[in-house]
Amino acid sequence: MQNIQSQSHQSRYDKAYVRQNKQTMDDSKSTQLLTELKEQLVKVANQRDKQAYAELFSYFAPKILNFGNQKLSSQGLAMDLVQETMTTVWTKAHLFDADKGSVTTWVFTIMRNRCFDMLRKVQHNKEDTFGDDIWPVFESPQAEEQEDHILTAKMLKHVDALPPLQRQVVKGIYLQELSQQELSTKLSVPLGTIKSRLRLGLVKLRSILEKHYD
Amino acid sequence: MIKFHPKDEMLKQHANGQLHLGLATAVSAHCELCSVCRDKLKQYTAAQAEQHLGEQSNDDIQTENVATLGNLSIANIDFSDMLKQITQLAPVEATESQRTIVEVKGTQYALPRALTNQVNHNWSGFGKISRMRLNADENNSRASLLHIDADGEIPEHSHTGREITLLLEGNFEDEFSQYVPGDFIELDANHQHSPKTINGCLCYTVVDAPLHFTKGISKILNPIGELIY
Ligand SMILES: [Zn+2]
Repeated sequence: MQNIQSQSHQSRYDKAYVRQNKQTMDDSKSTQLLTELKEQLVKVANQRDKQAYAELFSYFAPKILNFGNQKLSSQGLAMDLVQETMTTVWTKAHLFDADKGSVTTWVFTIMRNRCFDMLRKVQHNKEDTFGDDIWPVFESPQAEEQEDHILTAKMLKHVDALPPLQRQVVKGIYLQELSQQELSTKLSVPLGTIKSRLRLGLVKLRSILEKHYD
Repeated sequence: MIKFHPKDEMLKQHANGQLHLGLATAVSAHCELCSVCRDKLKQYTAAQAEQHLGEQSNDDIQTENVATLGNLSIANIDFSDMLKQITQLAPVEATESQRTIVEVKGTQYALPRALTNQVNHNWSGFGKISRMRLNADENNSRASLLHIDADGEIPEHSHTGREITLLLEGNFEDEFSQYVPGDFIELDANHQHSPKTINGCLCYTVVDAPLHFTKGISKILNPIGELIY
């Protein structure tokens, strides 16, 4: 164990040196790699392609192992980090959205979040997992969050002024505290419809509020 | 408009997962409200990803790991077992997380996502001040939701360590400025302040060491420092 730790300390110095060299890295080669990784991930997402996954695995696993060794100072925990990160890559490949960033950034985010929770468990004996709340990976909250954020009790008074379909969704989510998925099931309408009714409802609410409080 | 932001260095540490829970929560919640820092964080995260998982990352170490595992004779066996085990799993759907709402003094507030699973504690109060202390990992750090009613103020105090206040709803002002939701206010031990609010506000606060009241009669309020933060 001691050996591994001192090796990874040594490696940190090496890496600084390697990073300097990286500045001269061929950009087109790097772009090609990212394209390949993306193609493999899409194959995993669409066809559950095990060969494509094995290639992703052989690319990422040693790097994750190294990251885990540095952060968690334990080969066993580093292996857990590889397993948990790569499990998420397999089970949630279909949730990757290329518009939001590269495959490496996506995998890094998953890895960093897991590592954050593992480290808290090791250092503070905490079992709770907050990483994915702090750095959201699988949803794109921003667009809705800005609107959600201004929803306070003041606004709830104006909910009744909304058109019935929007009101139903806004009340379901904020008063009955149903999830969007639960509402979709309950009302037998697609999730996308729930989302758009919610968004329309919130935009409308905001305009009502602006009139009232300006 | 948001005027106070976390320093770039703190955003970088956040991208790399190096901040403790209380600070990471504050920076995350700020980024949810602030598109400037959100964009920076995105860039820093991409840079970290490149450093750790990019093509040229750790090439030297990679061989070292394989060698280490090779010595333990587990490299191929372990990874192929893991691979087999993982690829037997079924896809998992995204969970739609709902906004967490807290209610204090009859008003409901939708919280930033970072706080979603952290606010299952009770409010305690003193006059116009209500506090929900949250779990903090570090022994000498405290994280809280702090609610101040309209026309409320916190007596002048200083900190023995860093205090970060993220304004979530409402407005307040102190000797230095007026603040709007999203403002990320960092004060160190050299600063004293006495925040006041006209219409009431909700903040998220992290202090690295307990605070001390400094002025006149407020000194006898020192036990309240424990309560507030
Ligand atoms: Zn900012």
